[in-house]
Amino acid sequence: MSDDSLTSAAAPGPDDAAPGRAPAGTGVLLAERPMPGGSGSGTWSLGWTGVRTVAVLELRQRIRSTRWTAVLALWTGVLALLTILVRWAVHRIYDESFDGAGLAPGADEAAARLADQVAGRLTFGIIVFLVLSLAGLVSPALSATSINGDRQAGVLATLQTTLLSPAQIVVGKLLAAWATGLALLAAAVPFIGWIYLDGGTPFGRLVVVLAVLALTILVVCAIGLGWSAITARTSSSAVLTYLTVAFLGPGLPLLFALSVPLVTENRSVAVRQQLYTAEGAPTGCQVVQEERTITYTNRSWWLLAASPYVVVADASPKPLSAEGSDDPMSVIRDAVREARLGPRFPLEECYGDLARSQQFDDERRAQRASLGVTWPYGLAADLALGGLFVVVAVRRLRTPTRRLPTGTRVA
Amino acid sequence: MTDPTVPRAGITARGVRRTFGDVVAVDHIDLDAPPGKVTALVGPNGSGKTTLLLVLASLLVPDAGQVSIAGFDPVTEPRAVRARTGWMPDVFGTWESLTCREVLLTVGDAFALPRAAAAARVDHLLELVHLADLRDRPTQVLSRGQKQRLGLARALVHDPDVVLLDEPASGLDPRSRIELRGIVRGLAAEGRTVLVSSHVLAELDEMADRAVIVARGRTVAVEEVAAAAQARRTWRVRALDLGVLLAALDARRTPHPPPDRDGVEVELGSDVEAAELLAALVRDGVPVVELAPASGVLEQAYLALTEDRR
Repeated sequence: MSDDSLTSAAAPGPDDAAPGRAPAGTGVLLAERPMPGGSGSGTWSLGWTGVRTVAVLELRQRIRSTRWTAVLALWTGVLALLTILVRWAVHRIYDESFDGAGLAPGADEAAARLADQVAGRLTFGIIVFLVLSLAGLVSPALSATSINGDRQAGVLATLQTTLLSPAQIVVGKLLAAWATGLALLAAAVPFIGWIYLDGGTPFGRLVVVLAVLALTILVVCAIGLGWSAITARTSSSAVLTYLTVAFLGPGLPLLFALSVPLVTENRSVAVRQQLYTAEGAPTGCQVVQEERTITYTNRSWWLLAASPYVVVADASPKPLSAEGSDDPMSVIRDAVREARLGPRFPLEECYGDLARSQQFDDERRAQRASLGVTWPYGLAADLALGGLFVVVAVRRLRTPTRRLPTGTRVA
Repeated sequence: MTDPTVPRAGITARGVRRTFGDVVAVDHIDLDAPPGKVTALVGPNGSGKTTLLLVLASLLVPDAGQVSIAGFDPVTEPRAVRARTGWMPDVFGTWESLTCREVLLTVGDAFALPRAAAAARVDHLLELVHLADLRDRPTQVLSRGQKQRLGLARALVHDPDVVLLDEPASGLDPRSRIELRGIVRGLAAEGRTVLVSSHVLAELDEMADRAVIVARGRTVAVEEVAAAAQARRTWRVRALDLGVLLAALDARRTPHPPPDRDGVEVELGSDVEAAELLAALVRDGVPVVELAPASGVLEQAYLALTEDRR
């Protein structure tokens, strides 16, 4: 390529129209360029440079859209307001109930410290569930219009006709959406950290909570990406993503509640009953066979496992100091494990025997503690669901394509 | 596997058919685009041009037929085809918040081009399509024609052997059209295969070497532009004195329809006949102002073949 032809290319005059003129070159030829040959579409190839190209492209566009800073500011503002309000409300309740209770001065101090810890745990649990709920509300917006939005804007085919594989496009978009979600989570860390510093919460719980939150956001982003590849209209994919997230979060526990009639049976079971004297005074206990309505939650508890609320609660280590379930996470954790154990026979109805009652409770607590953890299954189920949506998205991006989703353009 | 009888370069399509539900977009198209030539794909709206280009660009699987791009099958070897094909779609968006330069560099990354080489080529392409002064502006400030030019540069980033241009001239101002013509001729002169779809026929006369005319999803004719110029067609003659001109034509027994305001149309067999007529008229002292084809080479063929427009 001579310099002359470059110049004429840079400034062609009307004379260039004449056929037979020196051609206007397209300039610098590439000495080396990747020249894949042979067959194979490479749908699933996941080379990092390709993934990075897509992720950088997505993040650049996100950062440059002016809404981004507004969203982050609004998000931080809402979190700050909620944290302050919840913290104030909880401490007010606890300070009042422990104030002037007429205890000895030393005991008063210890009680106040305990109250602070209980209040701290309660606030922590409330804030974590609020952040989880808000993340569920915000995360779908990060990816739910990613692919069909690109299709509508006519920029998807631009990527599809390059050497990027469908898997690289999908994973790149997923990573960009997740990174944005993690930025939102990072904005929440100061507030969660503040409540943690109030005391009462084990450090392990803080770590677990942040990890589960991050993974939950990843799953929600994957779901959004999947729906955006399946539906042609961005509004449909947004609605479907919200419905799926609602199904996982509050939906599964609701389903568990609705499934109670399905696992409830009338059965003749062993019941440990109170015996009474002729005068009506309790004397002892005896086991009898009686017809009872029994709810076998041990058959349906798994419905609860995949809900992110349950995963985060079950995964958090229990505070060592606390005996009972005095914070939202421990309550959920114990309730799910109780459901998992199901009914225990003989049914304990000999209430007069206090020692026996206490023993029963202790046994039950030991049983709950000995149960294997629930959260790995729940988290695995969530991640598998996210993975399924990613696979679906990749398959929908394969080209050349035989069928088009109705109402879509290729370009 | 690649059929050894198919040339290793250029585009070959045989009996391509593609339907969308019950709509037959492409019925039966045969097309050859040899390397080093500009082939025009001409046809009315809805004749299947864009669908055919989507098949060639490895985005759609044809229902039937064989396609070879630079020796590779876009259905079974899409990556090989993509590495060698530059596609400029008819309707497209750009990543609005990216600058022109970033758009092209992103495409370079997507083709896994070495960074430094890609950057040099991108800068040159921006010069070529006259977007160098807008290189660091976001593409959302570009006009439609400027976006079109960016789209052309985008199709060329990876130095493709085969270039598919779908209506590249739409939205371009006259100067940009002339420049586009220069660029397209340059691509062919470099040995690339260029396929241009358009319905601006006059422009294709000067840009294209060959034309494949399609209608209702079928190939109806293949015209060599140079040969078509030798075909019988209508010429327009204009003289200062219409009466003298008509008398001279009648004396030469050249048939002609009734004249219009200042000229008359005559049917001539070839360029040679036209030259002879001009020489004769001048010899006879007719004050000839103009003797030119009444319509473009392709226009003539196109209008004859696509009367049954739908």
